[in-house]
Amino acid sequence: MPTTIDETSIATRRLILRDALAILSLTLATAVLFAITLFLFRSFSAHRADLAQRWSQRGVEALSAHKPGEAIVALRTALTYAPGTPKYEQLLAQALGEAGLTDESYQYFMGLWEAEPGNSIINLQLARLAAKRNERAAAVNFYRAAIYGTWEGDGSVRRPEVRLELARYLMANHDLPSARLELLTAGGNAPDDYDRDMTIGQLLEQTEDPADAFVYYQRASAARPGDPAALDAAGRLAYRSGDFEEAHHLLERAYAEREQKHESIDSNADDVTMMDNAARILELLPSPTLPVRMRVVRILAAQAIARKRFAACSAEFSAKLPPALQALGTRWYGADGTAGATALLRNPSQQDSTMQLVYDTEVQTEKFCAAPTGDDALLLILATTPKLNLQPQAGRLGQPITPHD
Amino acid sequence: MSKVESTEVAPNTPAAEVTSQVAALREERLFLLLSIFIGVISGLLVVSFRMAIDWLSVLMRGSSPQPHQLRLIVVPTIAGLVIALFVRYVFPEARGSGVNQTKAALYIRNGYISGRTVVGKFLLSALAIGSGYSLGPEDPSLQIGAGVASLISRRFGLSRERLRVFAPIGAAAGLAAAFNAPISAILFVIEEVIGNWSAAVLGSIVLSAISGVVVARWFWGAEPMFRIPVVNLVDPRELLAYAVLGVVGGIASLVFTKALGWLRPLLRRQPASWQLAQPAAAGFLIGCIGYFGLPQVMGAGYEAIDAAMHAQFAWKILLLLALFKIVATTLSFASGTPGGMFAPTLFIGAMLGASIGSFEHHFFPHLTGSIGSYALVGMGVLFAAFLRAPLTSVFMVLEVSANYSIVLPVILANTIAYLISRTLQPVPIFEIFTHQDGLDLPSMEEQREESNLHLEDALHPVVVPVLQGSETIASVWNSMTRYGGLDDAPAVLVHCSDGLWYAATSREIESFLAGFAPDATLATQASEPPRPTLTLEQRLGPERTPVLFPDLPLASALPHFRRWPLLPITNRAMRGALEGTVSLDDVLKRYQQR
Repeated sequence: MPTTIDETSIATRRLILRDALAILSLTLATAVLFAITLFLFRSFSAHRADLAQRWSQRGVEALSAHKPGEAIVALRTALTYAPGTPKYEQLLAQALGEAGLTDESYQYFMGLWEAEPGNSIINLQLARLAAKRNERAAAVNFYRAAIYGTWEGDGSVRRPEVRLELARYLMANHDLPSARLELLTAGGNAPDDYDRDMTIGQLLEQTEDPADAFVYYQRASAARPGDPAALDAAGRLAYRSGDFEEAHHLLERAYAEREQKHESIDSNADDVTMMDNAARILELLPSPTLPVRMRVVRILAAQAIARKRFAACSAEFSAKLPPALQALGTRWYGADGTAGATALLRNPSQQDSTMQLVYDTEVQTEKFCAAPTGDDALLLILATTPKLNLQPQAGRLGQPITPHD
Repeated sequence: MSKVESTEVAPNTPAAEVTSQVAALREERLFLLLSIFIGVISGLLVVSFRMAIDWLSVLMRGSSPQPHQLRLIVVPTIAGLVIALFVRYVFPEARGSGVNQTKAALYIRNGYISGRTVVGKFLLSALAIGSGYSLGPEDPSLQIGAGVASLISRRFGLSRERLRVFAPIGAAAGLAAAFNAPISAILFVIEEVIGNWSAAVLGSIVLSAISGVVVARWFWGAEPMFRIPVVNLVDPRELLAYAVLGVVGGIASLVFTKALGWLRPLLRRQPASWQLAQPAAAGFLIGCIGYFGLPQVMGAGYEAIDAAMHAQFAWKILLLLALFKIVATTLSFASGTPGGMFAPTLFIGAMLGASIGSFEHHFFPHLTGSIGSYALVGMGVLFAAFLRAPLTSVFMVLEVSANYSIVLPVILANTIAYLISRTLQPVPIFEIFTHQDGLDLPSMEEQREESNLHLEDALHPVVVPVLQGSETIASVWNSMTRYGGLDDAPAVLVHCSDGLWYAATSREIESFLAGFAPDATLATQASEPPRPTLTLEQRLGPERTPVLFPDLPLASALPHFRRWPLLPITNRAMRGALEGTVSLDDVLKRYQQR
């Protein structure tokens, strides 16, 4: 029996020793294999990263050169070596979009969006693609997600830009009230920036909000004092809004600034004409703020101009006058057309009636006869231009401005 | 092998016996530990394998293979020659995908896979896939893992039984690392390699698969292979679109199987010299496909799958890609080039799925599923129909996309494709290959469908005398006379007070009754004078017949007939309530009826 126990003990010890050694050698072998694999993997990863970088660079260059087909090949290759790299995927999706593969691009971006629904760049691209696909609701949602999403450190700059893009999209879709709201929000949230203020001003004009547009031109002018472009834009807006005094003032300042800077005024000939017209309109305009006599003198001058225009227009018709002109003729023979200085001085309401006849004459004759020229044309402008208050909050340009949020 | 044999031929010395007992105990303990080592090493090798493929691919086909590059034809042709020479003269076991070879190792060679096979599989598969053959890295990874397991377990001198089960453990680790999908790998090994859920190896398979995946993820990251948007089934009728995909996938898998089943034996029947040229010829033809416009079919094709998922191909191109991938894979595999079938199967499925998705989107724009979701379902469909692994296919899709929302379409489409494939092509592809190779490995599909007999199938009503254990020996005689004596009864069932049964032989009962019987001869046989108050139960002692239920496998009764003449089958709900009895004769007769 003792022999058996000894043999058992020795056999067990041998087994334990053998196993321990085998496990130790296996552990060492695993460690060595791990080290080799790690070394190779690092070299492999570096090589792949290098290839990915090289191909993505080619893709970016092809995109810049407007060769989306080449860019697609290059970026697909880049993604082969760096799969799932968001930057390359976004560039590829963009290239697909630029190559006209809107649906493919949209699907690709949707895949990226699944992974990063808050990524503003992806949302912006999706918004543009949805716009191309005429999916209005989706486009607006993606634009909004882009605005409120995550930007890579340049959010303060990109958000207003995207909002402006959204506003343009809404304007293109004839949703002017929504576009106006986006523009006002974009302007209110962004720091003062001349270019942006000018853009917002122009877009607000297109959304039929001249009052707010004027404010943004004012802000642009304040951001870059003496800038003739901002003054011109504001002047033109004032002119179109019937505020000829402001228009003349602004356009004159712009003209002076240009002269001072020795800029060519040939390219702004329209503005110069507008400035001259505004000056002449101010001379013709029987403003209620003028002294009564002065106002009456201007009414009589306008009356004479209009009467002459009516006579010349009536003469063009050898046979019977159109009913509208016949009605005008009747009025010219009435109190409004024949009122003299005394009558006008005596009766303020007659002043308005006479001026109305003048305006009606210019409007009607423009319909039946040749386009008016000279003072007739200016009276027609006075007759047709709405009288808007452009300065609800601020005074003349150059004065402190409250941001319009 | 020598170590294995030495443990088998155990000398009859006491020391050897003890050593054998200790060895059995230590094997049990080593089993799980080695599973982890196998997983880690397999994972490392699979990572290296994938690196080798990528490196060779860039080296030989350039960093961006495009049509009309002459090397697309030259490289696979030359690589084919090299591969053929190496397979013929250096690594003859490296042929094929790796799945059948692993099964052969398990069932024929006691889990033995040589180190040379592992090296050959690694090098030649990497060369083949890297040079553009339409093959995948997953099945070779499975065999590499199995080979690693075999090498390690042999080092430890484990028993034949253990050596055999280590191969699937390594296979799971290799496949899991290659797919980055542990559940699919485990299921595939169970569905296709082992064939049943054996608790003995399940734990080890899980451990090694997880170890392999952990290593692979350490290097490659944990990102899923494919990413698609969440699938929202707005309208259940949309499932019809996926059902169509299931039908198309089933038919495509049939075409693929038929093509392989026809070309592979045809090429293997050719003279040896021509067989040597076959991989090069296949490489040339595949290179031509790439050169003339479809370089995507070359190699494993995962980049093209990703592109298809992102809707970057028109549906007609997708169909062309699927068709030429079938051609290219058939050529690659039939020529005997080492490499796997998984990746090509997924490629074909993805292309078919994406093409059907694109087609349906074009003509039925209200459908909400993305092209990516169709491509993903398509992958599962081909996997289920071609490789005949329906359960694995579902989990594979979920794991490679990390997207559970796709599960309903996947289950539906996979089931349809699987049923169509099974109906039109009853023999699975791996079994076709086995038969072509002259092997006779068990068919896992058949095993799954085999209906096992249960005890209820051999159950008979109780016709033997039934006695109560509480009866005294004296009263037993009277009871027995009610049954007409012991002459015709093969056994007597005794219901004991603990609710259990005792199946006594007639001889036992007769010995108990000695002394009470009117027949004096019985009394003289009794060894001691019987006590009149002694109950039958007391006389029987504590032993009872095993508790068996009707739903247990019929085979579970067999070991007990050595001791018991008859087995009572009881009800699971009522302890001790008899459902019937089975005898050895009943069981054997039932087996003979099959």
